[in-house]
Amino acid sequence: MSTYRVLPGPEHFLPPAAASMGIRLPNPGEAHIHGVIVPEEQAYEEAARQFLMAKVPTIFPGPLVLWAWNEKAAKKATAVRHLFETLKECVQPGQKPMLIPMPDYRPKYPKINPEIEINPNHPNLTIWHNKIDCCMFVGVHCHQANLSLKIIRGGTSCYTIAMCAQAGHEDAMLSFRDASVDKIMKLAETIKRLKGTVQPRLSTAKSH
Amino acid sequence: MAETQSLIGTQNKKGQTYTDPWYMLNEALRTPSFFTGSEVIKEAIRRASCDIMIAYPITPQSEAAALIGELFAEGYVGDYFRGESEFAVMSQCAGASFGGARVFTTTAGPGTMRAMENFPMWAGARLPIQMIVTCRGINSPLSIQPDTLEISYLLNTGMMVWHAETAQDFFDWILKGFIVAEEPDVHLPLALCCDGFFVTHTKDVVQLTPADMCLPPYDPYRSPVPCMDMECPPVRMMRDPFVMKSNYISYATHASWQQEVWAAVERSRKHAIRWLDGLIDAENTDAEIMIVASGTAVSQGREAIRMLEDEGVRCGLVKIKTLRPWPADEIREATKHAKHIFVPEFNVTGWLAKEIRATIPDHHRVYAGPHVCGGMTMPPEIIVSEIKTALGMKTFSLAGRGS
Amino acid sequence: MSKERIKISEALYDIMPSDYQDLVKSATYGKEDRGWKDIGTAKELIEQHSLCAGCPESMAFRYIIASLPNPEDTVMVGSTGCTSLVFPMVAVHNIHSLFGNQNAIASGLKRALSLRFPGRIKDVVVLAGDGATVDIGLDMTLQSWFRQEKFTTICFDNELYANTGGQESGLMRKGFVAKMAPVGKQFEKVRLPEIARESGCHYVVQCTVSKPSLIEKVVKNAVYVAREIGPTYLQLYTPCILEIGKNSMEGLQEMRDSEKPNERFAYKEFVSEPAKQLLAELAAKEKERKAAAKQLAGQAQA
Repeated sequence: MSTYRVLPGPEHFLPPAAASMGIRLPNPGEAHIHGVIVPEEQAYEEAARQFLMAKVPTIFPGPLVLWAWNEKAAKKATAVRHLFETLKECVQPGQKPMLIPMPDYRPKYPKINPEIEINPNHPNLTIWHNKIDCCMFVGVHCHQANLSLKIIRGGTSCYTIAMCAQAGHEDAMLSFRDASVDKIMKLAETIKRLKGTVQPRLSTAKSH
Repeated sequence: MAETQSLIGTQNKKGQTYTDPWYMLNEALRTPSFFTGSEVIKEAIRRASCDIMIAYPITPQSEAAALIGELFAEGYVGDYFRGESEFAVMSQCAGASFGGARVFTTTAGPGTMRAMENFPMWAGARLPIQMIVTCRGINSPLSIQPDTLEISYLLNTGMMVWHAETAQDFFDWILKGFIVAEEPDVHLPLALCCDGFFVTHTKDVVQLTPADMCLPPYDPYRSPVPCMDMECPPVRMMRDPFVMKSNYISYATHASWQQEVWAAVERSRKHAIRWLDGLIDAENTDAEIMIVASGTAVSQGREAIRMLEDEGVRCGLVKIKTLRPWPADEIREATKHAKHIFVPEFNVTGWLAKEIRATIPDHHRVYAGPHVCGGMTMPPEIIVSEIKTALGMKTFSLAGRGS
Repeated sequence: MSKERIKISEALYDIMPSDYQDLVKSATYGKEDRGWKDIGTAKELIEQHSLCAGCPESMAFRYIIASLPNPEDTVMVGSTGCTSLVFPMVAVHNIHSLFGNQNAIASGLKRALSLRFPGRIKDVVVLAGDGATVDIGLDMTLQSWFRQEKFTTICFDNELYANTGGQESGLMRKGFVAKMAPVGKQFEKVRLPEIARESGCHYVVQCTVSKPSLIEKVVKNAVYVAREIGPTYLQLYTPCILEIGKNSMEGLQEMRDSEKPNERFAYKEFVSEPAKQLLAELAAKEKERKAAAKQLAGQAQA
């Protein structure tokens, strides 16, 4: 069992891939928090807590849900929207939830507009610009999600969550696997349930 | 769009039933058959729901590559053709894989070297192509005898590299190889290596899975990167753009991309352990003398151990199944009691011994040899002789040493 | 992807960058008579590019992408060079893997798509420079033609290696002084259009990109013939103004000068008999369609 833990950075200008540090992905029914395998139930609670604590909790939907390329994708998009609306209802004044798309993976020159999108080649521009301290990836192809998650861990203190439709992401601080409409809705429910029980970081948050 | 899980239980056009791979490979009744290694490759591919195989002649894989052509003619493989060179073949395989097909090819020795530029590209592009390498000599003067030098070049490509010992390994690992390679968290090419002739051209009893069962088809929409078929988002997509251009963070992207390829090799560990029943096999790990080997050197090592037992020398064995991922922890554990570790290899450079030396504590315990340097088989007698000489025991003279 | 599947999820439409909203609203996926005239009126499938100002290759790129008959079911294959700086910005799936292997990639790709989508249109179009097509990749270029692989090969002929800084290439004209040709190139420009004809291409055109309407015509013909009959080849002069010492605004004149009768890029065309027949059938159908549309428009007015 690896002693490495996947924690908010900034870790290093080029942090190691968590998999290369011995972190293993969860099996079905499980999730991981900081690289430690946990029952999925625990991950819902922790993800909801992190969202409710954050100053700028943000959802980054990727191409697999932004585009209605099949029925399931369109339904997931609706669930993601619901999650965002729930988050908006459940935060306290001063917290600013955001919904910013990752529409594609192309290297954009000279740089992206961080107000309206996040790009896997420059993810930190969006994190820094919007002072995002907690984010969730959903609907991003796994390879691109891993690149982004690792760069964010390398250069920012943002807490990263992955709602992955496949095997999960060790490069996120918290990762679900086999994401579905139900799982996204369950996270929204958990946030609703924990509303008001979590103290936001507002007073202690450092200004960037 | 193929939801492959839902296809299990249905039939393909040849009347084979798409079967749960774990059931097919671990529980279904097996039939013993007496086949050459080349025929075994054919039988595995018959059951692999392979979309495309691209062939090119080079000894000793030509027979297998031609036999898969027969499968195509019978309708078991979707498409098949002879490419113009190994470099082209590996690019054609890449094109088919980018397009969402399950792709298989075979190669050997100098052909593998000719195609080499493709392999890190395959890995970087996360293409789960399976390539059989039937190892043979690569350097001048020409040799078609087993050598394993080409494996050492493959070790740093980002591909998974497995080294089969027997035809039975080969049959099982071809099928298991597709499963591990196509896992979305892995999704990497696999070089499944064997020692040419010893495995390809000798007959052996192999336990085959039922011919009316086959693997579920490949689902390109579980891939960690978009499939290039204009059926999935994002529509504005190049596989793969030069991300090292632009500003500093993009340099980090390129570096992270490289790390991600190797992270995927690491992730294959969990799946390979499950499907191959561990990355190594170990016997008598309490012995003071250990032979650590991969490929047919394991078989010869096993025979040497039997001969040594007759003389009262106890010796253990480690069979390394996967070279990438590299079973470092397993090798350290299996050799922790050993005072002398022998690494017999077919190649002249002793790359496996170097890998082991870099892995274990007290690496002076490793004896890099014997080496037969391609061009000949590896008689167990020379392994016995190597061990006895190192231990200061009297040993017979080998004709090859000219005494 | 049928046009209907290039659709943004409703629930997230409002957060999509306007580039993509425009792509869905006013790009020409699925438009029957799409062509160069859409440039400037409809959303182009190239969002931006980082080529030099005035580069004829950038014009050629836009004309070609505007002329593809079925971009929603086309996958393109490129090679290393200036084109690979444009391809990430093109809203058609495309592949870059190695330098020179583009026709091998396309061979595998076309076969995979034919296998996975039987009975459906899946066009494959290769677009690469002359170094990739004629020098390092010549073997794979020709072999794909020998095998009668059903895709289109387009060569951007700028008569040198542009992206690496202007070295000699096989399509460079004899005598031209360039890097790696310090005393002038010693042999003639390779006659690839003739070789293409002899290698089994059914439709071969050599021209410049001075006229967008011509590019539209030859691209459409090349794609249709490749789809139905066999390999096709277009060799388009896209001078590298930087490396031949021209200014940004001189690219067009350079092409016009080079396409005059007896110049190296005078229009050249070979069409096989089956291709001639197919193109005649398509032309007849097109005429019928236009007549019907005109009649319909007339009725509507009346």
